[in-house]
Amino acid sequence: MSPDTRTPNGAVVEFENVSKTFASPKGPVHAVNGLSMSMQAGQTIAFLGPNGAGKSTSLNMLLGLSRPDSGRVALFGGSASDAIKRGMVGAMLQSGGLMSEVTVREQVQLWAKLHPRPIPVAEALKRANIADLADRRVDKLSGGQQQRVQFAMAIIGDSPLIVLDEPTTGMDVENRQAFWATMRERALEGKTVLFATHYLDEADQFAERVIVINKGRLLADGTAAQIKASAGAKRLSFRLPGVADADLYRLPNLVHVERQADVVRLQTSDSDATLYALLDAGYRPADIEIQALGLEQAFLAITAEDNNHGAGAGAGTGIGNLEAAR
Amino acid sequence: MNATLTLTKLDVLRVRRNTRYLILAIAMPAVLYIAVGNSTKQTSGVEFKAYYMLAMATYGAFAGALMNNAARISTERKTGWTRQLQLTPLPGGGYVFSKIVASLVTTIPSVVVVFVLGGTVFHVHMDAWKWVVIALVLWLTSMVFVSLAVAIGYRFDPDATQPAVMLVFFPMAILGGLWFPLEGTLEKIGKWFPTYQAHKLGTDIISTGRISMESVGIIAGWAVVFAALAVVSYRSAQEQ
Repeated sequence: MSPDTRTPNGAVVEFENVSKTFASPKGPVHAVNGLSMSMQAGQTIAFLGPNGAGKSTSLNMLLGLSRPDSGRVALFGGSASDAIKRGMVGAMLQSGGLMSEVTVREQVQLWAKLHPRPIPVAEALKRANIADLADRRVDKLSGGQQQRVQFAMAIIGDSPLIVLDEPTTGMDVENRQAFWATMRERALEGKTVLFATHYLDEADQFAERVIVINKGRLLADGTAAQIKASAGAKRLSFRLPGVADADLYRLPNLVHVERQADVVRLQTSDSDATLYALLDAGYRPADIEIQALGLEQAFLAITAEDNNHGAGAGAGTGIGNLEAAR
Repeated sequence: MNATLTLTKLDVLRVRRNTRYLILAIAMPAVLYIAVGNSTKQTSGVEFKAYYMLAMATYGAFAGALMNNAARISTERKTGWTRQLQLTPLPGGGYVFSKIVASLVTTIPSVVVVFVLGGTVFHVHMDAWKWVVIALVLWLTSMVFVSLAVAIGYRFDPDATQPAVMLVFFPMAILGGLWFPLEGTLEKIGKWFPTYQAHKLGTDIISTGRISMESVGIIAGWAVVFAALAVVSYRSAQEQ
């Protein structure tokens, strides 16, 4: 990467107090509400949030497809359209279409011609695992295959910033693995990779940094481990016949309570404190298990907590939203 | 510029691969001409076989320019293809430019096929320069309908585009005398349409070797109106 592609502090993406509001029949919707974040060159970042959290709106503003009502969005220290004109951005959008009546090779070749420093077409096809589809018509492919064509288009420009919106939706397991292997190589080359996904295990495995937004605001920003820790994502489960619900709900540090007959599963931000309180209350549970939770549960915990605290948001729980997205 | 030309080339290729286009803009006018053109009548100061040759060439060129482009632009906005292009270094107007140039290229066979039929099957005779000038006039006038296609394609969803095109183009084709020669009131109305005047430029060149300024003026007027509509539609679509 040439030095002029970075701003002095190395920020590739900057959001400064960005807001965007849409009109709707039920009144204005604050899709993005004072969002500030900054992404450094060479980072691999997962961009997470429940449906309606403002992810797509943020990505659209990041790519210059829509303008913020207020605040500042910068790519490589300048405007998005400027960065795109210089071939600095390779993007794969959910809402991005493909040409009709052309073959995969023609489609990818066009992208190579449109970018100033393309990698060879054959190489892009190989990396996206579509070399065998090169002579097929794009409009005759399955959704997962088209997704891989989009992927080839996102990487062919050899751009220092790669933006991926739900990149693996519709891909089978084998192609998802191939996809992330290729992305890992791009990251090792020093490229900045920003991806939004609903598969939280992908974010957990692949991202060095996880940004969670909810209701248009930044909710959490850190490594997957930090977010799991901050969410207090531990599951405490035990068997305890005859325990009163009221006693369970009185326990400290609870995030979530689940009960099936004698078996109780608690999600807690401090498993030690919760357990001691239970024992202090005179209970003697059996089969105690304490388990660290994955990013998915951490994500659900922090968005649910945020939604419960947010007055009058009325957007339902994070759990409901995430389930609806599937 | 290089990027835009690459897109244009691919756009031309796509139109050539589109069976609907080949039928609508090339095969149909040719078949209609063969079916209807065989007559020894005189119409509008020229032989009917020459009249209908010009009518079908005009129809094919304009229908291709309008229907094909309007449908494509509307569909490609809907599928997100135009958004996808916005994420590349392609210059802002590159997409519309490629549609216009591709349309100019793909319109040529509509005119040429019907003219070749006229010259060979129906033995239409005129000076060589007249063939060339008439073909050029029809070809360039098809630009008027590319503008209209941009105006419609950027305004309507794919579902609404087809009816919108039909609603505008079929009256224009009929009142332009492209389906049958006009008389009386119909002709008085029809002469205000660019279809009628484009066709009349052709018959005038055959019969008198001249171009009427009235025809040019009326076509230019429509060109300005459609281009303005195209700009308005394009701008409002960009702001969304």
